[in-house]
Amino acid sequence: MSHRPGTASGMSRRRLLRLGLLSATAGAAILRGRCAEAQIGGAQPTPAPVPAGELKNPAEFKAPRVRASSPTTLSFWQYVGFHVDVQKFIAEEYKRRHDPNLTLEITAYPGLNEQRVGVKSALAAQSPTPDIIAIEPGAYAVDVSTSGNVRDFTRVFADDSEYKRGFWPNALELLTINGAVVSVPAVTNTVIVYYNRGLFRQHGVEVPETLEDLKKIGGALNAKGIMPIAYPAGQDRNFPLFPYYTYLGGTRADKLMREADLGLKPWTTPELVAGAEFVEMMAKSNLYAKGPLGVKEPDAIQIFATGRSAMFWGGQWMRRSIRAALPPGFDLGLFPFPAVVAGGPRPVLSSVGITLTVNARSKYPELAFEMIKALTGAWGKIEYTKNLGLSPNGPIGAEAIAYQMQSLKDPLYPEFLKLQPTGTTRVLFTPTVEEAMTQGMQALITGAKTPKAVMESVEAASQKVGTRKFRTG
Amino acid sequence: MHWRRHATGWAFTAPALAILAAFLLYPIGYSLWLSLHEWDGYTAHWGAFVGIENYRALAEDEVFWRATVNSIVFVIVRTPLEVGLGFLLALLLNRRLPARSLLRTLFFVPVVMSLIVVTLIFQRVYEPNTGLLNTFLHGIGLGAWAHPWLGDPATALPAVIAVSVWKNVGFSLVILLAGLQGLPQDVLEAARVDGANAWQLTRRVITPLMRPILALTALLSIIGGLKVFDLVFIMTRGGPTYSTEVLATMLYREAFELNHMGAASAIGVILVVVVLSIARVQAFVLRESGETEPA
Repeated sequence: MSHRPGTASGMSRRRLLRLGLLSATAGAAILRGRCAEAQIGGAQPTPAPVPAGELKNPAEFKAPRVRASSPTTLSFWQYVGFHVDVQKFIAEEYKRRHDPNLTLEITAYPGLNEQRVGVKSALAAQSPTPDIIAIEPGAYAVDVSTSGNVRDFTRVFADDSEYKRGFWPNALELLTINGAVVSVPAVTNTVIVYYNRGLFRQHGVEVPETLEDLKKIGGALNAKGIMPIAYPAGQDRNFPLFPYYTYLGGTRADKLMREADLGLKPWTTPELVAGAEFVEMMAKSNLYAKGPLGVKEPDAIQIFATGRSAMFWGGQWMRRSIRAALPPGFDLGLFPFPAVVAGGPRPVLSSVGITLTVNARSKYPELAFEMIKALTGAWGKIEYTKNLGLSPNGPIGAEAIAYQMQSLKDPLYPEFLKLQPTGTTRVLFTPTVEEAMTQGMQALITGAKTPKAVMESVEAASQKVGTRKFRTG
Repeated sequence: MHWRRHATGWAFTAPALAILAAFLLYPIGYSLWLSLHEWDGYTAHWGAFVGIENYRALAEDEVFWRATVNSIVFVIVRTPLEVGLGFLLALLLNRRLPARSLLRTLFFVPVVMSLIVVTLIFQRVYEPNTGLLNTFLHGIGLGAWAHPWLGDPATALPAVIAVSVWKNVGFSLVILLAGLQGLPQDVLEAARVDGANAWQLTRRVITPLMRPILALTALLSIIGGLKVFDLVFIMTRGGPTYSTEVLATMLYREAFELNHMGAASAIGVILVVVVLSIARVQAFVLRESGETEPA
């Protein structure tokens, strides 16, 4: 005889014991989660193994402070199609449980560029639509906030400090412009190195701990006709910057980069030029598959999935695409990039993905904030990342992870959670600087310029912008 | 009565004129005025009036000149290839050939294919490690020629131009084929009776008769080449290192990535002026040489 999960009647002793154990694990995890608020670089707890389909989302889906008095539709413009289903699910649950009058209408643009053009046009026209806007951290957040087009979360956080504590502090720091949090992350994610465990075993190579190890592995793999790393530098304007960010994370110079980004330090300081030298060295080292600037994500995935390369340098967001391309039996692993200097940390590029903010001209700002809280709050964040396999926007407990793993069934997910968050960033706030960096890194990869010349051109671009009208963090 | 006849004419043309004014003249005027201002595109009101500052800044911008040169190269290389190949194919397909209809259809297929699909296909073709082109070169013993076609600044622009020609040659072919079929048969017959061989017939009779159609095809190709955006944006985003940056992609970058709406409008105005100038020059040259104005 079977019983519905969660009902007290007919509960076996074994089941009671299991729940007891889970509660103990969750208690410890919650404590650890709270500690994580104060520490950057903390890791998520390991999930307890649980039979499928028996757990529920352990967080409370809190009731809103404000409800719609009549049927109301909130418009939401975003740019990541694969998030739509989970956003719809949470919005429908919110409607069912808390606010039957409120509907969320999601418009998913095919990409960030298209959405940004649409949003820009709407904001310039002073349109109250969309109510909720998905924005990227960095230049996009600066643009919409300094132009006075979005509301900040100061009052929301003042009214609900527990909600604020639910986010990783460094994630909120990326979204703090001129002293106010202007947007909140739905998820966080990392850039790491995926690897083919089978190929590593077959050729007797170990996961590299240092850059020297990586170079040795690269040499060994190249000698056997296997390309070491598939790196899709041609995908977009962010990918060419990853090696630079990685080096700065590995030498703890990322804060210096932030200051340079804000025009407070020159880009030609030796630490920042060293980052460009690293980019050049990597491009010349035969570690990448040929012509990285001509390689896009689908190509790189194909190279990796067919065993032509042993490693793939990419983002957590690509996990599903990679999985979909892998043949049966492919043993997929991941590791953070090796330490770039002796004794230095292993840099994991960490950032927030899609973030949510409220149009300053929205007719229903309070309802929009409540909807964002539903999507990103304690209950929402667990549901949101349950099927996507992206990391949540803040710490979650072991019980929550176990609940997620029931449906996710991805052994890599807990591995990602252990890496999130770190203090290493991959965000630039000044558009002109970002553009100069992208072009500069491309020049280094193709050997068209020297590291010093590149950083001088970035500095020239930075100086051209002049004094920034914003500060971050 | 005279006035009434004109009034009727104006009444019939008014809707078209209104549409033209609303969707062509007004935006051009708006862009021209915006090009004299600063604006980040996020506010309802434009920034300060800066006169010709945006144009001056462009004149000093290395990327603008790079984009201009790339646009010119794009046109100079693409147009002769597109029109020349189109003409050769049209001459060929104007003859009695087996499966002529099928061949005409096949050459036209790229024209009706979605540009996104075409670019995605060619991205895979050009991929340096597993792409069709390099695999083919390795297969026939020319592995040394294998190359990161889109990843190398030296080859990225030619690679994009090649795709553009492949995609558009069918369009030139159709126009030129229609022109060939409309040529006066008595003239061609007279040339044959006078003993002209195929080469002489093509060079001395058909080509001069086809000049207006060739000019029209060339003009369309030049204008299409100058305003090319989607193909470049999807394939390379203007990179690497601005090697494929053209005026239209620079316009987009200035407007939507760097928030320089005034500068972007200035580029737009320059593009309009260049395109109109080319059209007028071509019309003038044709008129001077006694041909009918094509457009």
